[in-house]
Amino acid sequence: MADITVYLCKCFGEIAATVDLEIVRAGLGDNPSVSSAEIVDSLCLNRDLETMAHQIREGVTQKVLIAACSSLARGDRIVRGLVHRGVRRTDIHLVDIREGCAWIHAGDPDGATGKAERLIDMGLAHLENVQTSDDVSVKINNEVMVIGAGPAGLAAATSLARSGITVHVIERAPHPGGMLRLVSRLYPKDSAASSRLEPYLDELERNPLITVYPRAKLQSIRGYTGNYKIRLSSGDDEHNLSPGAVIIASGAKVLLPDGLFRYGEVANVISQMELETRFRKGAVATKNAVFIQCVGARCQDRPYCSTICCPASIKNAARLKAENPVANVFVIHRDIMMPGSVLEGYYRHVMAQGVRFIRCEKDRPPEIIGTDRIEAVSVYDAVTGSTRTIDADLAVLSTPLIPNDDNRRIAELLGLQLDRYGFFREIYPMHPVETRMDGVFICGSARWPVSSDVAITQGEAAAMKAAALLARSQAAASDFSRVPGRKFGHARVNVETCSGCGNCMAVCPFDAIRLQKVEGKYSHVSRVNKMRCKACGNCVSVCPNGTMQMPEHNYLSVGEMIRRAF
Amino acid sequence: METETTRQPRILVFACRWCGLIGADGAGKNRIALPSNFRIIPVECAAYVEPDAIIRALASGIDGTIVMGCHVGGCRFNDANHAAIKRLELLKELLDATGVGRDRLLISFGTAHEDHQFAEVIRDYFDTVAALPPLEPWVSTLTMKHLSRS
Repeated sequence: MADITVYLCKCFGEIAATVDLEIVRAGLGDNPSVSSAEIVDSLCLNRDLETMAHQIREGVTQKVLIAACSSLARGDRIVRGLVHRGVRRTDIHLVDIREGCAWIHAGDPDGATGKAERLIDMGLAHLENVQTSDDVSVKINNEVMVIGAGPAGLAAATSLARSGITVHVIERAPHPGGMLRLVSRLYPKDSAASSRLEPYLDELERNPLITVYPRAKLQSIRGYTGNYKIRLSSGDDEHNLSPGAVIIASGAKVLLPDGLFRYGEVANVISQMELETRFRKGAVATKNAVFIQCVGARCQDRPYCSTICCPASIKNAARLKAENPVANVFVIHRDIMMPGSVLEGYYRHVMAQGVRFIRCEKDRPPEIIGTDRIEAVSVYDAVTGSTRTIDADLAVLSTPLIPNDDNRRIAELLGLQLDRYGFFREIYPMHPVETRMDGVFICGSARWPVSSDVAITQGEAAAMKAAALLARSQAAASDFSRVPGRKFGHARVNVETCSGCGNCMAVCPFDAIRLQKVEGKYSHVSRVNKMRCKACGNCVSVCPNGTMQMPEHNYLSVGEMIRRAF
Repeated sequence: METETTRQPRILVFACRWCGLIGADGAGKNRIALPSNFRIIPVECAAYVEPDAIIRALASGIDGTIVMGCHVGGCRFNDANHAAIKRLELLKELLDATGVGRDRLLISFGTAHEDHQFAEVIRDYFDTVAALPPLEPWVSTLTMKHLSRS
């Protein structure tokens, strides 16, 4: 059936200088599926787009093959222009004969012309066999589930509830608050942690749109963007939720310095968290205090910087100094990490108050001296090159935040990825609170160790993203691409031939495939959830009998492209 | 006139559009001269490449195939390319066992914007395949017979 129009772009001579387009056009004359072939000066000009779109709309031709530059150059813009003018995406095919042919074979015009002919023929093979994926449209539930009631989760929950969205906050602990319940004061203004927490707790009480589920445990997560099906237990109660979006604000935990710097062996060698606990109970009397930074951080096991330990130590050092102005307070560090205008100013202020900083080396860590009680700390000062012994009655070990143990479980339930340390991974750095699963957002220390103010910022950002998703009541599966642009397609199962082997279900990285029990030749057939499917193609590749197909990239079109490649 | 000795190897490339294809595009932008006898089939992800397609290609007279994807851990589709590598490595074993040879398939994983790397992979692979003995026609007919789907 002759229904394809071929446009050959000269690109103002860029292509035509190497590829003889007249020969290419003459060769297309014999092709039964080509209705006409046209050579144009440049397709990226608007008027040529108009002509093309007009011809398709008027039924002069059904499909277009555009032989021009690569999709990354101008090609995508041409395709988008046509789609914008009402042409179906699968009726357009772009063949790159500039970057992929003319420019790299400039020294071999015959070879380049021959290659262009073959590339266009492959494009025709694709257009003849391409199919369109079926789309679905689903309702978006106006509810959000927030996992974790720390600063990030509370910020997300309250800002969503304020904009009229029902929020379910699930928390593992008996009370909301997260790490804010454990620390005494917050840097850099040295404000009480409760002063930041209480407004949120008030709002949880006041706002009827927020429900908190304490002592919660996630049982299962099914469903898709707009309609997740969640089963959880809270204490002895069971709950079923169906939120449209999920925000992960599960936070992180503090590394216990077991086996490091004689922790647990010598009295008064404590962790930063124990110091916070002592502060919450009252004043900590000390004459000589030493803070040791980067304990179990920036080492082989945990090469990352936890970002919060330097400011936290400096905050507590200043507090010890304020409680006892004649006390000697030392901070032993490898590098002080105080980024930004506020924290750097705080660091200088604390130094002026008399807190002393000693830089040590990674390979020569300080040593704790003393038999039952700490008596001194011996440290190699990297600046002066000498070893010093500092009297100490208290040593505080600054340990980093490490991922929660149940991160992996949550990730598996939702089909997410963790980074190599076990923190949740954002999709790209440009989309800092979004994950590979649509409608699942991350914020706070679940993503990376952050301070409470950054956690709050991220929580509100995640809330914003969730609200933007929930703003529409209906959404199509093709809207949700995890890569920029429209989704490529959805896998399609031929229920007649599916034997229910489950290969596709095992390999799907997005947990989009389930086996369904049926009556018939085979006991099961696989079902693709189009909302979860991101069109990676794994299921197609492992299907033993070609039952699973991606309509936009089906085996007929690929087979024919291979056959006509040379 | 093309003879058996002067014939350039035929190479088919499956390039993932997030890495391999961007590299190819960069090679084009930099106008790096390359031998013309290769064709690229763009795919969304290396996971789209069915092992079957490789065998079809080799059976239809193509001398070598390349699959280009993103770095492991850098896939746009969670770990889809990781699954693809495993599958294709297994296919290499199969190619060896059937006498086709594992060199007929090259798996290359790189990030985007590596245009010179792309050019180097293509050039090196042309040399590799040129050094291989031509594919025996009986191998082609035999595999074709076994693989014809319909």
